[in-house]
Amino acid sequence: MNNSGMTQNSPLPTLHSPISRIRSLMRKEFNQIRRDRRLAFSLIIPPTLQLLLFGFALSANVTNLRLGVVDDSKTPESRELIAALAESKSFRLAGYYFSVNELAEAINRNDLDAGLVIPYDFARDLYRGRPTTAQVLLNAMNANTAAISQGYIEGVIQSYNRTFLREAIHLDFRLIAAPDVARRGQAMLRPALLYNPGLVDSWFIVTGVFGLLLILNSSLVASGAMVKEREAGTIEQLLMSPASASEIIIAKITPLFFLLCLMALLAIGIMKLGFRVPFHGSMALVLCGAALCVLAGISIGTVIATLSKSAQQALLTSFFVNPPLATLSGAFNPVEAMPRWLQPLTVINPIHHFATIARASMLKGSGLADLWPNFLGLLIITLALFALSMWRFRKQLS
Amino acid sequence: MRRILAQTRKELTQIVRDWRTLTLALVLPMILLVLNGSAISLTVTDLPIIAQDFDDSPASREFLDAFRASITFHIVSFPTDKKPEEAFTSNIAHAAIIIPVHFGRDMARGNNSPVQLMVDASDANTARLVVGYAGQITRAYNQRLAAARPAPVQTAVRLWYNPGRSSKKFYGPGIFVLGISMFPPLLASLAMAKEGEQKTILQVYVSNVPASEFLLGKILAFVAVALAQCLLGLLLLFTYFELGLAGDPTPFIVATVLYAFCVASFGTMIGAAIPSQAAAMQAVALGGFLLVFLFSGLLFPVENIPAGLRWLSLFVWGRYYIEIVRDALLQGGGWPAVWYKVLIIGVIGAVFYALAWLSMRRMQLRE
Repeated sequence: MNNSGMTQNSPLPTLHSPISRIRSLMRKEFNQIRRDRRLAFSLIIPPTLQLLLFGFALSANVTNLRLGVVDDSKTPESRELIAALAESKSFRLAGYYFSVNELAEAINRNDLDAGLVIPYDFARDLYRGRPTTAQVLLNAMNANTAAISQGYIEGVIQSYNRTFLREAIHLDFRLIAAPDVARRGQAMLRPALLYNPGLVDSWFIVTGVFGLLLILNSSLVASGAMVKEREAGTIEQLLMSPASASEIIIAKITPLFFLLCLMALLAIGIMKLGFRVPFHGSMALVLCGAALCVLAGISIGTVIATLSKSAQQALLTSFFVNPPLATLSGAFNPVEAMPRWLQPLTVINPIHHFATIARASMLKGSGLADLWPNFLGLLIITLALFALSMWRFRKQLS
Repeated sequence: MRRILAQTRKELTQIVRDWRTLTLALVLPMILLVLNGSAISLTVTDLPIIAQDFDDSPASREFLDAFRASITFHIVSFPTDKKPEEAFTSNIAHAAIIIPVHFGRDMARGNNSPVQLMVDASDANTARLVVGYAGQITRAYNQRLAAARPAPVQTAVRLWYNPGRSSKKFYGPGIFVLGISMFPPLLASLAMAKEGEQKTILQVYVSNVPASEFLLGKILAFVAVALAQCLLGLLLLFTYFELGLAGDPTPFIVATVLYAFCVASFGTMIGAAIPSQAAAMQAVALGGFLLVFLFSGLLFPVENIPAGLRWLSLFVWGRYYIEIVRDALLQGGGWPAVWYKVLIIGVIGAVFYALAWLSMRRMQLRE
């Protein structure tokens, strides 16, 4: 009588219900996390550092290219052209050279990024109404810089041409070259830059790196937490407990999930305060995406942990997973710029879907109506990864 | 000398035995080189844009044909009664060309007609490229129409060193350097930290091997790993990336040997200073990957980094080697262009070796 009363009061029988088993396991996990100062450290420092460094250091802006000039004409007209180029913020005048050979050598030594050669008959040809050619030499090693600066140079020279034609002094040229009878109008392109008129590079980078750091840090933290039990040999004790494999894994994942979601909030705060990324869309959408991303990262970490015997092996294994995941995500560069055969691979990349969601929602204000394909993609990938991690974990336990 | 070589042989044997480290040393860098070298590209081709032609005249269609003919853009259909912003928010297109009514009539009358180009600038770099390319196409279109009246100043742009503006040729060498900066020091730091973690380092302390020889033996093993990786990488650069030697290869060869020493010493130094494999690995990931990836001019020119952070790149060893590799494979400037960079790599390598030696020497017994 007395004995059965004791059992009723003791906490043991309640452990028969899965909810209470999970709860007590979770309490154990929370206590472990609370005592682990390294974990809190690794949830705050790396994401902050990654966002700030990537956001500030990666900029594709083309400014201050060093321009060398060979001016064989030495006339007011040629100096005007040089000034027009040097005044644009993309170029700065780095020096004059006497011959094309000297200029070429300077480009070869990497002292210059670009060269401008003005022929000796430049002004004479202009006044005679003959088109003249200015040669531009570009160091095109960096394809992107070359493409952008080529656009700039041609734009500057076009506006030089326009002012030249407008000016009354050069009436001769207009008379000879443009008989008004045959004149046709021109298409004038008026570019308008939407969503980011100041062309801030960091907005694109930071919203991409956001997804990257969620996956990266979630998988590292999760694999560390999962492999710890195995390394310390306490996993057998967990197995002997009445909890089932799925209960163990749920209890392990839930606290991590909440902590990593806090990390996502921290990252959003840094984006807003540090980089002034605008938030045009719904915050809930981004947070939902971030939560899915965290779950995907945890699942990747769990799978990695089941493949490894120690923390060191888990870290090494993550080297096989994370770099390709990062490159093929479109976090740093537009997917359209990748080669054709690699583009389809982004469909199975959670970072790619999340980067699309974060960018479209924050910068452009897109809603679920526009972004549902990416949400669906992210959801499917996350569920698949989660199922895979459950299966691996169970297999490891049995 | 015999002691050094014995140490090297022991190290290499350990690497070959573990499939993880062996793949990390030789296979993974090659996979990443191909993957990253081709995936990292900023210059878009075949970018989807929409066109809203409110004029629908022969002139406007001819104008749009000029865009259709370019390899940079491809025009996707979009109804004219919808706002172009909707195409941007749903990521259908990155830009929109809007041709006003009377475009053809204005042109025929000799008036200039405005054409609006709306660009989704959430990706600033792509927006810059789109504006530049669209301007070039429009200029070519205008020039063709006004064939009788060429612009007074023509530009002849010559693209040097990479005339096809191939991204692969620029990022290939960068990723090649990133691989060498990451994997050999990673393995070196693991090997060194393992000695500390498993306390086998104590055997070295009590042996008659001096710290300098012990370190040199270890470093030589990872120099061998780095050079092997370098050879395989060069093979890929010469075939898949279609690069070749542009000039005098001697500065490149000297720099490669020095750089292999530099990264191996870096890893060994980290491993000697941090006797925990997991922590050492993270330190190498920070120094070998993050610093070289961000502060070496791999993706974007170093000059674009804000001045407050840019000074960091002066100490990033990968920066100098990237410049040397690009010079050797693309530019061909030779010794006059790069001699001091070769020197700096040697100096940084020597500093790493000295630091590793210092952290070891304290432990060793005096004779």
